[in-house]
Amino acid sequence: MSHYDNIIIGAGHNGLVAAAYLAKQGKKVLVLERRSIIGGSVVTESFGDNFSVDSLHTGGTLRPDIIKDLKLASYGLQPDSAPQPFITLLADGSPLTLDVESIKRISEKDAARFPEFVRFMNKAAQIMDVTYSTIMPRLPMNFGFKEGYGLLEWALELKLAGRKDMLNFIRALPMTAQELVEEYFESDIVKAAICAVAIHGSTLGPMGAGTGYTLIHSWMNRGGLAHKNVGKAGEITTALANAVKAFGGEIRTEAEVASIKIENQIAKGVVLINGEEISANQIFSAADPKHTLLKLVGAQDLPPEFVWHTQSIKMRGSVAKIHLQTNGNHGIPEGTLVVAPSIKYLEKAYDATKYGEVSEEPYLEVTTSGNTISIHFQFAPYALKSGDWKLEIKKVEELAINSLSEYFPNLRASISNLKSLSPLDLEQTYGLTEGDLNHGQLMLDQFLFMRPIPGWSNHKTPIDNLYLCGSGVHGGGGVSGAAGRNAAKSVR
Amino acid sequence: MTANQYDAIIIGGGHNGLVAASYLARAGKKVVVLERRPIVGGAAVTEEIFPGYKFTEFSYVVSLLRPEIIRDLELPKHGLKILPLPSTFTPMENGDYLAAWDDHDLTRRELYRHSPKDAEAYDEYARVMARAAKAIKPIINLIPPDPSSMSIRDLMGLLKVGQYAASLSEKELYMVAKLATQSSADLLEEWFETDALKGTKAASGIIGTYLGPRSPGTAYVLLHHYMGEIDGAFRAWGFAKNGSGGVSGSIYNASQALGVEVRVNASVQQVKVKGGRAVGVILENGDELDSKVVMSAADPKRTFLQFVEQKHLPDDFVTSIQNFRARGSSGKINIALSKLPNFTALPYTGNGANSVLHRGAVSISPSIDYIERAYDDAKYGQISKRPYIDMIFPSMIDPDMAPPGHHVMSCFVQYAPYDLEGGWTDQRRDELGEAVIATIEQYAPNIRECIVGMQVISPKDIERIAGITGGNIFHGELLLHQIFFLRPTPQWADFRTPLKGYYFGASGAHPGGGVMGAPGMLAAKEILKDGML
Repeated sequence: MSHYDNIIIGAGHNGLVAAAYLAKQGKKVLVLERRSIIGGSVVTESFGDNFSVDSLHTGGTLRPDIIKDLKLASYGLQPDSAPQPFITLLADGSPLTLDVESIKRISEKDAARFPEFVRFMNKAAQIMDVTYSTIMPRLPMNFGFKEGYGLLEWALELKLAGRKDMLNFIRALPMTAQELVEEYFESDIVKAAICAVAIHGSTLGPMGAGTGYTLIHSWMNRGGLAHKNVGKAGEITTALANAVKAFGGEIRTEAEVASIKIENQIAKGVVLINGEEISANQIFSAADPKHTLLKLVGAQDLPPEFVWHTQSIKMRGSVAKIHLQTNGNHGIPEGTLVVAPSIKYLEKAYDATKYGEVSEEPYLEVTTSGNTISIHFQFAPYALKSGDWKLEIKKVEELAINSLSEYFPNLRASISNLKSLSPLDLEQTYGLTEGDLNHGQLMLDQFLFMRPIPGWSNHKTPIDNLYLCGSGVHGGGGVSGAAGRNAAKSVR
Repeated sequence: MTANQYDAIIIGGGHNGLVAASYLARAGKKVVVLERRPIVGGAAVTEEIFPGYKFTEFSYVVSLLRPEIIRDLELPKHGLKILPLPSTFTPMENGDYLAAWDDHDLTRRELYRHSPKDAEAYDEYARVMARAAKAIKPIINLIPPDPSSMSIRDLMGLLKVGQYAASLSEKELYMVAKLATQSSADLLEEWFETDALKGTKAASGIIGTYLGPRSPGTAYVLLHHYMGEIDGAFRAWGFAKNGSGGVSGSIYNASQALGVEVRVNASVQQVKVKGGRAVGVILENGDELDSKVVMSAADPKRTFLQFVEQKHLPDDFVTSIQNFRARGSSGKINIALSKLPNFTALPYTGNGANSVLHRGAVSISPSIDYIERAYDDAKYGQISKRPYIDMIFPSMIDPDMAPPGHHVMSCFVQYAPYDLEGGWTDQRRDELGEAVIATIEQYAPNIRECIVGMQVISPKDIERIAGITGGNIFHGELLLHQIFFLRPTPQWADFRTPLKGYYFGASGAHPGGGVMGAPGMLAAKEILKDGML
């Protein structure tokens, strides 16, 4: 039986970041990936001739300090790419880019307020970034100097933000995105476009409390309203994989972990589905907490109350993806475009999920690059009240194409190939429990020291030597790599 | 001192205004309370709307009134008498019902009938909620510190909050943190499976908010309603003898015994400012009153946007008061009855005088989805087609409320949005009344033949009659960004205001609404601390 210092379950970006940091410390590291390709949710795949797409996350940017620490620039990652345009559609179908000059066309007042809004959001994102790089210790007084010091630094950063920004940051977190944007803007089209970013990937409408927090979260991860692309999503994880290997780590694909081997509440290694056993001193799971704890560990090895809390983690994926290959004559502008005509429209799109239905009038985020169009469709709830995702996905494809065709009538005729992914595909193919892109909803009761569950945000679990390093733990959600890095750093 | 010269002027004779005045008078100060209406009580009043039928027009149950106020002001001596509400009865859409009785074993047996699993979970749930409410209770009497300030008072305040947090066990702390942030639906779905149970419990989480049970933050509102106690009995709800007017009546009597002057029909037009300080008020009839300090027990918007000239307040502050959410979402239907409506799920015999369910609350809350759909209507500016209704029959508890053999019925209804699309008209008010009657009719088919008279109160009416801007029963929603050190606005949650000598002690201040009296009491104590009197 082979033996490693660290086994990392899952070669998504967080798993690879954790692996790279550990390998850099000189540890003997093995990354195990279920699929035949690495990348997890940050992956570029081919679905046919010249039909190569970012299947789930379209672009994204790792934290700059991770790019620096792991020397990712030497593998081709560019940390400072220019943001793409962020475009919404006016009632007449014409595109409106969200910048001061364009907003002037519809509201002088909103154009005048825009820079102050962007300033506050950048500041808030900066505070959030510091929050995510601080490991949340157990509360209340149950932590040592090292962890306490991190918290103190965090508190200091809050104070340094200045009285007004600090109070506004705290206040913004539990607010609804609607309230937040209404304090700045008057035009519904501008407000809705920003609200779209707030609810992106989250199963809440812009009238839901806590979408102020998700707006800041998304803003931080994207570097603004639009995705700041460092290149194809797959380039991020490929660069990370190269870094892991360069530091001496190993990566095995088609190596699905069936269970974590536990003796006396201590993790000893993993068992693959082919029966192979590999032992390690420490196991890091980048899989989501529900999968890790309920499937790979199992309730029998965990305290009952912990199991109850884990079962209660809200996953609730409601995103479907539709990728289109076209002949290029679709008329959709390059960049990030949202179909979000009003706040009410977005909220109504969300309402459907409460009753297990697909939105008839969905919120769409469309990323276009040349002939390829990727549509992020919300809301398509994983838990359908009736129907089967294997059939329903056709309906979602039609809804998406119809909805976009209203603005871009040439779209349908331009399509040559199509690949869609339902929330069930997200679970089955990409291993995301209940199709949740963030490994657990970004909600206030799953935030800070309550992510993934109260008391276990410091990457530890009730099983000694088993750590969580995926998006489901504090620091996670989105393509930042903070969770992976924090996990690696939490262990000495 | 001349006749119009006081130590303190209190604007508003609601329960908070009267509590504040009483505490100041108790400290030997000369105090006057100015009430706009011809009666005191604010939103806690009892009025005879139809001859012989008395109604607690707005608020209708007691539970949250702080026990220290009852003690300090000796309210029982001044006429406060609380009669317990023994049960909650939820008729179900399938013709069955779910009831919670004041007899624990009976309730358990009833739950068992619907779900043995829920019956098992119920006790543990009750324990956890009671523990959480107890854990959070010390916060009620804390003066919220400003975390961005470096002043000694605020740092001491922060220290107190820190000490409080450290006094909780890890488990309690997480419980409170989770309850403060999650939705009541998420909370309840972790515990129970019976729809009617979840619906009825979730209803406490939406009272006075413009939120549905699936909106994050509603578990906190649910917890807020758990903080009530009557004679030390936790989570007990009662009905005051003579209705809510009986509560404010007893505080009024107490204030009189302490020498407070109360003027009714005294509508304040403006707070007088001299040298950057509040020095008195000018009434609408032109009278001027002078004082060392002025405290407002009106809602935040009237307090700061109407009573004070904007030039006396910083722009930022004015903006944040304008942004304060105070959207009314509930209505009240007061009905005079010739006989009791008969619920098909548990029919009464005879004239119903012995009916057990009518002695308690009847809740139309068959499921979480039912309430959520009611919210969906309101979210887009419509009256709920099938609203959540909380009914009580005060005349069953206090026979003085109605003529012999007759009854009064009080229906709290949600949602009736203040910002109704197209605006509130007499016709829309009738529509709200009809939605309520049609809903009740599903469960008690004889309701229409029982009705002698009906008063429908929309949030617009609450605004007009009780003077609460926006018609929100809490003077401002209990949202996470509007509680504790953020209520009513950051930096000014300690009952002081940017205008020296002007204080704020109403439901819009910490710890919030629900006939608690705490804001009035805490504000009075802060006024005394500042030593300006």
